[in-house]
Amino acid sequence: MPSDIAVRLSGVSKSFPGYTAVSAISLDVPAGKFLSVVGPSGCGKTTLLNMAAGLMPPSEGSIEIFGAPLSGINRRAGYMFQQDSLLPWKTVRDNITLGLQFRGIAPNESAEQAENWIRRVGLDHFSHHYPHQLSGGMRKRVAMAQTWIVDPDIVFMDEPFAALDVHTRLRMETEILNLWAETSKTVMFVTHDLEEAIALSDEVAVLSAGPASRIIGVYPVDLSRPRNLIDIKTDPRFLDLYRTIWTDLKQEVLKSYARTS
Amino acid sequence: MRAPRDRSMLAWQLALGAAMLAAWEGGVRAGVFDKFFFSRPSDIASRVAQLFAAGTIWVHLATTLIEAILSFLIGVTLGVAAGFLLARRRFLADLFDPYLRVANSLPRVVLAPIFLLWFGLGIWSKVALGVTVVFFIVFFNTFQGVREVDPVILNNARMLGASEKQLIRHVLIPSALTWIFSSLHISIGFAIIAVVVGEYLGAAKGIGYMISQAEGVFDTTGVFAGMTILAVVVLAVGSLVGNLERRLLRWKPAHSNTREGVS
Ligand SMILES: Nc1ncnc2c1ncn2[C@@H]1O[C@H](COP(=O)(O)OP(=O)(O)OP(=O)(O)O)[C@@H](O)[C@H]1O
Ligand SMILES: [Mg+2]
Repeated sequence: MPSDIAVRLSGVSKSFPGYTAVSAISLDVPAGKFLSVVGPSGCGKTTLLNMAAGLMPPSEGSIEIFGAPLSGINRRAGYMFQQDSLLPWKTVRDNITLGLQFRGIAPNESAEQAENWIRRVGLDHFSHHYPHQLSGGMRKRVAMAQTWIVDPDIVFMDEPFAALDVHTRLRMETEILNLWAETSKTVMFVTHDLEEAIALSDEVAVLSAGPASRIIGVYPVDLSRPRNLIDIKTDPRFLDLYRTIWTDLKQEVLKSYARTS
Repeated sequence: MRAPRDRSMLAWQLALGAAMLAAWEGGVRAGVFDKFFFSRPSDIASRVAQLFAAGTIWVHLATTLIEAILSFLIGVTLGVAAGFLLARRRFLADLFDPYLRVANSLPRVVLAPIFLLWFGLGIWSKVALGVTVVFFIVFFNTFQGVREVDPVILNNARMLGASEKQLIRHVLIPSALTWIFSSLHISIGFAIIAVVVGEYLGAAKGIGYMISQAEGVFDTTGVFAGMTILAVVVLAVGSLVGNLERRLLRWKPAHSNTREGVS
């Protein structure tokens, strides 16, 4: 039953000239699940996503997407990048419909969908603005619509909310959970915020500090859904999980501090 | 749209220009400068007026403009095409690299006599000279612009399903446009200079020819009149390019596309 696993990393390593970022990573992301990857800064979370997206080949090991070996771009995935990735020369609307345009769907056919998404991410009055005219949070919202509008089976998200204020963040997290619940997508979500990882996910994978970082544990999160992101952080089960995972993660964060200071 | 501070600066700039012209005029009138070598602003102005009134200027102006526009268009087309091709094909870029460097290090003026022999006294020898100037400026900028595309934006477009053709159209060209435009500002000016130099060295029409004729009879006023007309033409064409740039680069933050005039 190959299609049970959306993303399978088997013994994956990635070395850059003079530096091994990740080593011997084996990780399964079950189809339809929400999996978060946490780890200290610079441990190789983005590198992992880039490999799973087919943007760079692993140095060792193999990657399977729904049971098929991955070569070249991962056509079944959408990717919300850590850095700004909107096309600065396209308006909010044109950025959002870009993926549809690439698939040969004419602007008048995608108009309704575009309207929906623009409303959904709360940018009704900004559809003709250019990215430089938006705030950082608004740009992230455009990127979110841009990624989800093409309806990929897998969505990779790399610290999408790291730069947002608490309120916007909560709103976007709720929105992501709703989107995910409505569809049967697989989400692989990178964050360095353990609370966020637990609150959103079915499973949390913890990476060790680099170089050559490994997976030190994959923790199932058995909190019931739908979740209320405002109250969940005081739920006793949440606190239990947090304590367990943090005990392991803490070691790695301390190692990473020691190495960089 | 000029900010108030810009407007007061413009007033200062005009005042400086007027002061320099007045000093020149006064200096010549008082006999500090020799009128034979320096002419006078008032004489130059009336000569320019006379050239336009008599209509003799039009054929020269038109010739120079046609040559400049042709060399600009041909040079830009070739430069953009070559820039894209080499930026996307590593092998070709490495292959041509030394030859492009050698060709670009050659002072263009030395080519003028060769082009006169090859293409004759008419407009094409000037166009050829202009093309060699414009091509390299546009080529290097396009090449750089395509190479400097933000890899995250490129990857994003790839993940959204862009084909190679769509990448070029939606990512590479718009991204390189900033670089291409900054090269257009410079190359339009250089195109005019190159064709005028070509005309100066051998032609039967054109502003450069007019200047060399005036120089031949020690008519300083005529030389300055030609220079004045040339300067106005370069500024006017430059501001046209600036307008086009502002239209096409609307998506850029305001501070980076309000560069004016000077290229
Ligand atoms: N192209 C590259 N060349 C060389 N080293 C690289 C390259 N890309 C990443 N690295 C290195 O690999 C390591 C992991 O980088 P990565 O971007 O995956 O970290 P990260 O976990 O996403 O960090 P952060 O949380 O800060 O985003 C870093 O030490 C980085 O310096
Ligand atoms: Mg990262």
